[in-house]
Amino acid sequence: MHGFSVFLVKEMTEVRRTWRLYVIPGIMLFIGLMSPILAEVTPSLVSSMASSEGQGIVIEIPPATTVDAYLQFSNNAMQIALIALIITVAGAIAGERRSGTAQLVLTKPVSRTAMVVAKTLSNCLLMLVATIVSAAICVGVTAVMFGTELLAEFAAWVALFYLLACLFVALAVMLSVVLKSQAGAAGAGIAIYFALTILSLWDVLREYTPVGLLGAGDRILTGATDVPVLWPVATGLLMIGVLVGLASWAFRRQEL
Amino acid sequence: MSAAIELTGLTKVYKETRALDGVDLSVPEGSVYGFLGPNGAGKTTALRILTGLARPTTGGAKVFGHDVVHATNEVRSLIGFLPDVPGYYPWMTAEEFLRFSGRLFGVEGSVLDARVASLLDMAGLAGVRQQVGGYSRGMRQRLGVAQALINAPRVLMLDEPTSALDPMGRKDVLEMIRALSGKTTVFFSTHILTDVERVCDTVAILDHGRVLRQASMAELKREGHALKILVEVEQGAEDLEPLLAAEPWSVECEREGQIIRCVVSDIGEARRSVPAMVAGQHLSLVRMVDEEPTLEDVFVDLVGGRS
Repeated sequence: MHGFSVFLVKEMTEVRRTWRLYVIPGIMLFIGLMSPILAEVTPSLVSSMASSEGQGIVIEIPPATTVDAYLQFSNNAMQIALIALIITVAGAIAGERRSGTAQLVLTKPVSRTAMVVAKTLSNCLLMLVATIVSAAICVGVTAVMFGTELLAEFAAWVALFYLLACLFVALAVMLSVVLKSQAGAAGAGIAIYFALTILSLWDVLREYTPVGLLGAGDRILTGATDVPVLWPVATGLLMIGVLVGLASWAFRRQEL
Repeated sequence: MSAAIELTGLTKVYKETRALDGVDLSVPEGSVYGFLGPNGAGKTTALRILTGLARPTTGGAKVFGHDVVHATNEVRSLIGFLPDVPGYYPWMTAEEFLRFSGRLFGVEGSVLDARVASLLDMAGLAGVRQQVGGYSRGMRQRLGVAQALINAPRVLMLDEPTSALDPMGRKDVLEMIRALSGKTTVFFSTHILTDVERVCDTVAILDHGRVLRQASMAELKREGHALKILVEVEQGAEDLEPLLAAEPWSVECEREGQIIRCVVSDIGEARRSVPAMVAGQHLSLVRMVDEEPTLEDVFVDLVGGRS
């Protein structure tokens, strides 16, 4: 992988000095801060909406707890953050092609595999920092508002979410190579995301494939003890490798 | 002299289009080589194959003996390349881009510092702290030439480096290229004839994916193409022109004021006859000079004839 470390340093500098520093981390920080607050106000919001209808409907919603705060965080991160991640990473290789930087850089001794791996790794590192900081904020706000329970379960959720995020990074990079357009790759990535969400309703897939990563964290948070994570984690890691390999192979075969 | 670049029967077919059609070419080491042709002739395709961005359909391409398809890293370490529209990371400064490019070639430390300083100076970008995203076309092209030189390449490949530039930008880039003469091999594609005349010592003319002619500039102008003679008189050129046109050595003449230009088949005979004819008409000869054919004449002869 000629030029990998130099290109990775370039990628990380680019994260630090462009919009990439603000979009995904910004969304994650917002989710971390707002999710416990949303969990707190949701019961009273729903109750007030029901009574304002004036039909004598009374909805009793128990006060929010720690698990509600973490589940709110989970819902927001799984939807808003992952879709934003797919959209931004979809331009990873397609953007380099469109701007002409790929032609300038890849005529120097840097391999296409190095570019694909550096793009994937830099986005995974950005997501790691964003996830950890966001989760820490969520834990802090939740502790102040609800208490400090479920820390181990939430840590497990964070780990599973991060693996899923890396899987979508690898998928978006691969689509960026194959489809050669950010819009096309983002559209395909989001379609695959929704398809996987539907497939996660199927027990067998949930138990033995990366699809299981979509709901495993939530089940752990709600106290389930028999959540199958070994196969989803193992196949998730394998799938990341396969997607990166596929992206490199496809990119090497393409003309620029 | 060994060949820096060698193309052998190079063919590239895109679906229905034959972009290159059996191109044979040999670029001598140390030359400033003009790769001349109209738009769509196949120049960029040849450069994309040479730099590993595209693969040939058939035939071969070598840079200093290394096959460009199989020895990609060896070839890339020997070349510097400037595409027709270079793309940069807009958030970088020129210095940062040069350092990034140098590191990709494994150039580090004081060598990199010295090269970056020297190339920024050569490109007229020393002290410019502005990010590349805000550069003019001329600045981008000058940076493009500089980044292509960061590895001290044995061959510098430039794809239409002046085509999008204003006259001042063109002058700057051509001066940079001319300054490289004798230091490195320059392979320079363009459709601008005057640029080739200004900086190149050898030229290949490409059209419809085929090399029509490959020769040194002097040879190309000398052999097989019409010579011209220019005759200027004080007055009476309108009477002299039909007489000159009627001479057996005269192919065709045209007049502009008191200046007559004749394409001639025998320059020696023309030189002997014209002064006597001017004197015979009691006219005053202001000047009589041979006019070398321009590259444009040669190009039109070759490409125009084909089209």
